[in-house]
Amino acid sequence: MTKPNKELDLLIIGGGVAGLTAGMYAGRMNLKTLILENELVGGQIVNAHGIENYPGFLSIKGSELVERIQEQATTARAEIDEFDTILSVQLTAAEKIIETETTIYKPHAVIITSGMMRRKLPIAEEKKFLSRGIHYCELCDGHMYQNKIIAVVGGGNAAVDAANFLDKYAQKLYIIHRSPQLTADPVSQDKLLKNPKVTCFFNTNILKAEGSTSLESILLEDKNTHEQQTLKVDGIFVNIGVVPNSQLFKNDLTIEKSSGHIIAGETCETNIPGVFAAGDIRTKQIRQLTTAAADGTVAALLAEKYIQQQKEGK
Amino acid sequence: MVKIYSTPECPWCHKVKNYLKSKNVEYQDFNVEEDDAARDELYKLTNDLIVPVTTIDGSTYVTSFDKAKLDEMIGIN
Repeated sequence: MTKPNKELDLLIIGGGVAGLTAGMYAGRMNLKTLILENELVGGQIVNAHGIENYPGFLSIKGSELVERIQEQATTARAEIDEFDTILSVQLTAAEKIIETETTIYKPHAVIITSGMMRRKLPIAEEKKFLSRGIHYCELCDGHMYQNKIIAVVGGGNAAVDAANFLDKYAQKLYIIHRSPQLTADPVSQDKLLKNPKVTCFFNTNILKAEGSTSLESILLEDKNTHEQQTLKVDGIFVNIGVVPNSQLFKNDLTIEKSSGHIIAGETCETNIPGVFAAGDIRTKQIRQLTTAAADGTVAALLAEKYIQQQKEGK
Repeated sequence: MVKIYSTPECPWCHKVKNYLKSKNVEYQDFNVEEDDAARDELYKLTNDLIVPVTTIDGSTYVTSFDKAKLDEMIGIN
């Protein structure tokens, strides 16, 4: 069966904060807009337990903030499809073609807000114990570890946030971090480090995971002394950073080799006219929710200008 | 009737439920964090406590959000 072709003003690839904000602006400018998200609407912040640095809220759950921005986008008549998957993209100055499982889209302009994906734990046993002791979503799987020994791998905001959340289940909480100190916000760090259940292993790598059918222990190595020790754990939650979701665009767009981000400046314009990159996916120094929202705004406003020029034949 | 074993804060659980709603599929939702009987049922079914788990006959099931497998199990075209 041939797929239907659909023409749009604007297609937004990715439904995180940048994408939803762009959708809200585009909808308000009467652009026929579709946001495609094949994982979770809201992106990385859906897993955030308490966001305290987004203006307007003293503290808000990530999922609640997403719901609010999503409602603003759909109220502005941007459409969101979170159940279709993109198969291929062809982006040129003359034509933009995005093929999904169900449809071939031909928008005038594209905004890429595909964000970042979680880095996997780099040990050979990662696959064997995935969901059998090695986890990436504490909101989904934390409840499996009532009164158990839990380790969180990482030391940034996501890791410390996860550890503070898992406290309600854990009998004992370990933090395993390869660097000499945590890098999370001081407020979150304070909360964690004051918790008597918590023991931190700094300058430490996980070499191996062991167990018969599910995880039973991990082998740690001190990076400085090379001393090794086995730690009994029931589950580990991995938060060791993210990598850009730019694979789909590597044939058409200029990607920064060292980092994998799409090269785009403050205007969010890429090397192809009418294609914009916004939020965490683009090259920039600061990646925050507020800068993602700002990028979404800039990209949508400039995309609208581009679309109008195209329609006027300029 | 389709059954979903879930927890309230799990984002993939919400995604499965939103998908079934979008396809007008009715379902019963069991919160395994509070419902001990449902927790036991889930463990019996999957030998695990990972959520979301969707089942229709209590023997075959789909873990997480896997659109193709959900479509096949539930008969969504």
